Amino acid sequence: MTEIAGEVEVVNSLGIHARPAAALVQQLLKFDSEIYISFKGNRVNAKSIMGLLTLGAARGSLLEVSCSGPDAEEAYAAVAEMFASGFGEA
Amino acid sequence: MDFNKLPVTRKQFVPVSRLLAHVTHNIDFEMLAGFQGTERPVYTWDVNRPGLALSGYLDYFANDRVQILGNTEIHFMERLTPHELATRVSNMFAFEVPAFVLSRNLTPQPVFLDLCNRNGVPVLRTSLSTDEVISRIILYLTQEFAPETVLHGTAVDVYGVGCLIVGKPGIGKSESALELVERGHRLVADDLVELKRRREDYLYAKTNDIVQHHMEIRGLGIIDVRAVFGVGSVRVFKRMGLVVEIEEWDESADYDRTGLNAQHVDVLGVRIPYLRIPVRPGRNIAIIIEVAALNQRLKELGTDSVKELNDTIMRTNRYQSR
Repeated sequence: MTEIAGEVEVVNSLGIHARPAAALVQQLLKFDSEIYISFKGNRVNAKSIMGLLTLGAARGSLLEVSCSGPDAEEAYAAVAEMFASGFGEA
Repeated sequence: MDFNKLPVTRKQFVPVSRLLAHVTHNIDFEMLAGFQGTERPVYTWDVNRPGLALSGYLDYFANDRVQILGNTEIHFMERLTPHELATRVSNMFAFEVPAFVLSRNLTPQPVFLDLCNRNGVPVLRTSLSTDEVISRIILYLTQEFAPETVLHGTAVDVYGVGCLIVGKPGIGKSESALELVERGHRLVADDLVELKRRREDYLYAKTNDIVQHHMEIRGLGIIDVRAVFGVGSVRVFKRMGLVVEIEEWDESADYDRTGLNAQHVDVLGVRIPYLRIPVRPGRNIAIIIEVAALNQRLKELGTDSVKELNDTIMRTNRYQSR
């Protein structure tokens, strides 16, 4: 059981909308860890599309990611990588 | 399910008798001559007005079509001597002609009817105007010549949206349909769905004439939906607006989570919205299909909920981005 937390930045110009949210959820469902993302006092489960949409995370936003569970490190790495790549968007 | 591998059948020809039987239902057809030729085949849905052929020009004579004789042709024929007319019509009969149709209760010259009797070419007459009879014949023949297929599945009219439910045997197609009927929707066909393309872009499902609205439910046996639920619970014919494939839940499959990636399938050349719905205990497939049908209607009426939600989010994000 590990816990890991850190900050990621939204780099794609449209921010977190339905497509990135769905892509993120699709990736994260593979992990057993609990993954939460917080932004402006709003903490949501990163495996919930609707939750991610409520963040209102535009480009340049810094989001706090916390993972806890057996595969927390891999899960955190996956989240960080997806945010860094801009979810394949410009 | 691979819709491209369905066995497609298409009629090669329609006998004149079939045209007569159908059309007399809607049009007051009478037969003037050529009674022995009622089994002559019509090979194409189009019709021809044989004005040029009657004038003697027989290159490119569209002889395989139903020949329509309206005011123009009849009055032209009246200007010919019986001998001239006999020669020209005989020349036309060097080609195989399926039938003549007279509009506006017109009466041709006796020599024309004689020749048709001798050659066994049916002559039909109606009181309808020429354009009306042409459009009705073309409409009927295009339906007859439309491609058809049969598939294993279930067709239900859900809130006016024809839903074609497909999936492996035993996955619960019939049970879902039964629940939809219970909830007030209408069964079109179960197990054997006859599909037919109409025009270029309409796909129709039809009840099989023998099976009708009987349904086999495991554990119950065969039930007659019309008798059990009443005549309001069935229909014979319905345009299909949605294909729903029910399948076993697959952890590794990418189910559409947002509805942004609308999928379509091609059935008999008609593009139809397509949904894959995984089954799992606790998921009520009938209700999901019901909502899918309503959402489809909403989209057809111009409201794409997920797109509108996402557009709002993207607009806000763009406004706030740094």
